Amino acid sequence: MHIPDGFLDAKTAGISAGMAAMGIGIALHSVRRSFSVRRVPLIGLAAAFVFAAQMLNFPVAGGTSGHLIGAVLVAVLLGPSAAVLAMTAVLIVQCFMFADGGVTALGANIFNMAIVAPGVGYAIYALVRRAAGDSLRSRLLATAFAAWCSTVIAAIVCAGQLAFSGTVTWKVAFPAMAGIHMLIAIGEAVITTLVVAAVARARPELLASRPPTSAPSHYTELTAYGLLVSLGLVVFVAPFASGWPDGLEKVAAALGFEHKAMATAVMAAPLSNYTIPGFRSAVSSTIVAGGVGTLVAFVLAYVLARALTPRGDAAQGRDAGGASPCA
Amino acid sequence: MNALEVHHLGYRYPDGTEALRDVSFSVAEGERVGLIGPNGAGKSTLLLHLNGLLPEHPPPEPAVRVFGTPLAEPNLAAIRVQLGLLFQDPDDQLFCPTVWEDVAFGPQQLGVRGPELSGRVARALAQVGLAHLEERMPHHLSRGEKRRVGLAGLLACEARLLALDEPSSDLDPRGRRELKALLGSLSVAQIIATHDLELVVEICSRVIVLDQGAVVAQGPTVELLNDEALMLAHGLERPHVLRHRHPH
Amino acid sequence: MPEVRPLVHEELLNPYRHGASLIHRLPAPVKLLGAAVGVLVSVLLPRTAWPAYAGMGAGLLLVALLTSVPLRHLGRRLLIAEPFAVGVALLALLQDHGLQMFLAMLAKSTLCLSCVILLNSTTRFTDLLQVFRRLRVPPLLVVTLALMHRYLFVLFEEMGRLRRARRSRTFTSGRVFAWQLTATVAAQLFVRTSERAERVYAAMCARGWKL
Repeated sequence: MHIPDGFLDAKTAGISAGMAAMGIGIALHSVRRSFSVRRVPLIGLAAAFVFAAQMLNFPVAGGTSGHLIGAVLVAVLLGPSAAVLAMTAVLIVQCFMFADGGVTALGANIFNMAIVAPGVGYAIYALVRRAAGDSLRSRLLATAFAAWCSTVIAAIVCAGQLAFSGTVTWKVAFPAMAGIHMLIAIGEAVITTLVVAAVARARPELLASRPPTSAPSHYTELTAYGLLVSLGLVVFVAPFASGWPDGLEKVAAALGFEHKAMATAVMAAPLSNYTIPGFRSAVSSTIVAGGVGTLVAFVLAYVLARALTPRGDAAQGRDAGGASPCA
Repeated sequence: MNALEVHHLGYRYPDGTEALRDVSFSVAEGERVGLIGPNGAGKSTLLLHLNGLLPEHPPPEPAVRVFGTPLAEPNLAAIRVQLGLLFQDPDDQLFCPTVWEDVAFGPQQLGVRGPELSGRVARALAQVGLAHLEERMPHHLSRGEKRRVGLAGLLACEARLLALDEPSSDLDPRGRRELKALLGSLSVAQIIATHDLELVVEICSRVIVLDQGAVVAQGPTVELLNDEALMLAHGLERPHVLRHRHPH
Repeated sequence: MPEVRPLVHEELLNPYRHGASLIHRLPAPVKLLGAAVGVLVSVLLPRTAWPAYAGMGAGLLLVALLTSVPLRHLGRRLLIAEPFAVGVALLALLQDHGLQMFLAMLAKSTLCLSCVILLNSTTRFTDLLQVFRRLRVPPLLVVTLALMHRYLFVLFEEMGRLRRARRSRTFTSGRVFAWQLTATVAAQLFVRTSERAERVYAAMCARGWKL
């Protein structure tokens, strides 16, 4: 999802950079205030960890393999603000030392992958945990679902930025980015959850079970990120939402024709139609697919969480799953 | 005044196990003392107590005095200047991007700047024989070089007492010889926690034997290390260099 | 995105960065500014300014020659970084004036990538960090960047050891197993990283660090 140089125009790059700076500001403030100073070096080392973990190969098919992005992983293990700083560091090093992501696009990349991804991810994680309880199983469910959602949302914001710059039109960018990332996000969710489960097996105390949103400072922190992300959505996505009222009508009609909508979305996403009626269906199909996808993702997340914590071990966090190598 | 005085130091881990029990000893200025004992005896834990990294909350009556100053909250900064701690893993010790920056770290925290800073760094690196490595990055150094840079970092603070945790472990024979020569050449007081009994014989005048958190013996090096029964009883052994030595 | 990754190990130990050419010896702020200006100009050039693209390309080639870093090395890095740009640019083909847009984006991103690759082939990250410090980047962020860079190689080595150890005791194959195994390696790496972070904190405090 790293946007290279030359794909964003000045206003998009500038606005994104401004929002990224705000997000980093929130994170710095929050870490200084409520993150134990003993753990400050951990932020830097966690950034190195994310970078290293991104190199791990998760074979998919043929020669391809999936890789971890890690935003939600760090957020679950260290908290949202530490995650923002760690991911920011990763992106800065990737940009300057590995030419991965453009210099002018650094603000946008940081906003998408270091603020939206961990911020949204942690918020969903906290919400699901609140609803589902504190057992290991519900934490894994929360992790998986949060990882999926945050990847897709970050991709949508990225599409919005490309469209806002006039580089790629919304009707192409949105289905392509959202569609592809709904699949990539599955990998992210599975990998993130597997790693969290393995950490819970090895050192349960690293996943402290303190309720994530009880402290008042946590509320302010999450609210601030929420506002910032909403701002991003308003600026980069909402202008294209004029197509949505049509899309939403279609959704209502399509509820009875779910399978057809999903089929069109999968085919339309990478290759958009050129005819005008086709244009509307690519975007709206993606929206329908997104809605269905979210539900499917939640169910899959639950299945995964259950697979990693068979009945009886759910609370204790021990994994007796079939193929797992000993910790 | 002794460089270090420890009186009845005790420590329990958070889970309740006793790590140190009634530990008392002293180190005179300029003296080199070996801290030996089996694995798990508490050597590293003891060293962490010497500059206040443990316990997490300093006790009301400190059991440790460094150059006469009690190890209490307001004195910690001053004590950490005088007592330099060398960690076992050189990758933990060297956390700065370059050799120069790492050696300069300590003095910089003390407010030293400019020519005086460069002077201290240069002198410290010269003392450990690594003056040419200023701009090197830590992951380009050998283990022995990393250890010596770590020492330079402590010397740059003008520490008067060095606490060293397994300084010769995982060094190749040459690295070990160079380290031994270096430590022997320094005039500052040293307390060296180590398994390397040959090193202890060669440069330490006294030893403290620690087992299960308690001091089981302390005294002149050769005398204690020659005591085969004592050595074997505490997971050690009589070092080879003494076996072939004629008694003086 | 993953295309860039295999070079990481090599990049961390990149010997070319310590060269003594004219460009290498320029102060870091100058090189950073140069790269930034290069990128900005490339991005702001009008889409169809083909002569300008060529001119910039020639200029960058000249700089590359002055660095005396082997052109093959620079070219290889460029090739590895390009695919993603090409991928996104392909999206532009799916619309009006697509081809022109596609070629323009390709030209711009190649020029920009070249600027950044020249920068990081001749400048050490620690020097960039010094520039950040002087630009008053918040200390918390700078220390995070510094520690990240410092421990990148250490963690890579540790990860390599963990993978080898796991693999030497693995007699099963299969994707599910492979995923579990790799996830366990990642988890072990995190646990060790956590523990190391505690020790690094202690080492920093032992020499008087305060945030």
